[in-house]
Amino acid sequence: MSFVLDLFTMGAVLAGALFFLAGTVGLLRFPDPLTRLHALTKADNLGLGLIVIGLLPQVAWPLGAFKLIAIWLMALFAATTISQLMARAARDGEPVR
Amino acid sequence: MRAVIIRGAGFFGFWLVLIGADPVDGVAGLFTAAAATWTSLRLLPPSSGRWQYAALARLAWRFMQQSIMGGLDVARRAFDPRLPLQPGFLTYPIRLPPGPARNAFCAFTSAMPGTLPTGVDEHGALLYHCLDVNQPVVAQLTVDEELLTRALGGTDGDR
Repeated sequence: MSFVLDLFTMGAVLAGALFFLAGTVGLLRFPDPLTRLHALTKADNLGLGLIVIGLLPQVAWPLGAFKLIAIWLMALFAATTISQLMARAARDGEPVR
Repeated sequence: MRAVIIRGAGFFGFWLVLIGADPVDGVAGLFTAAAATWTSLRLLPPSSGRWQYAALARLAWRFMQQSIMGGLDVARRAFDPRLPLQPGFLTYPIRLPPGPARNAFCAFTSAMPGTLPTGVDEHGALLYHCLDVNQPVVAQLTVDEELLTRALGGTDGDR
């Protein structure tokens, strides 16, 4: 059973790391600040979510799990709020269609 | 007063879960919970609107689904050698008035595939930056707004 859970953890954390890699590749390849913000927020939200889900079977229930989920939620709130503020700042000077 | 007690207890409980029930740390936790309660009451005054939990669950489900779609979408575009992007702006004539509900809408949609709210234009419509303007962005946003409005009890901005 614990072997299956370990496999699940490895799979989910690896998938999460892949999305962080995708976010970083997007950050480097996308052409302007606004498109780069898309890459960072979307890919990292999913990456962090997958890593948290992958780590859940490895921590003490219920406190450890609650902590992990709390970290995820706080990162999510911070990302969704800050990406808008940065987008607002980055929009100045861009052509609006 | 009821909101103060409920929120204060919630924040302190959250502290206990995160830090643990140590008496010395607990004092710091009390101060932190008090500060958090004061801040939350200033930023988000107690509202009379009642949350609709069924609609809230649908909203959470959509958020999860769309987060996955958003991550996959960005990853696909980032790894594609041709870098398929059609970035551009479009306006979304939002019905939610300025306030907590609209802020929630902006936060929600900033995690959706290909959309990023960047403020309002001179007519009060929301300006969205899109990764691909050929996607049915406005239709998606309309679904999101409808779900969110229903989840908040149809009070349109609880002000």
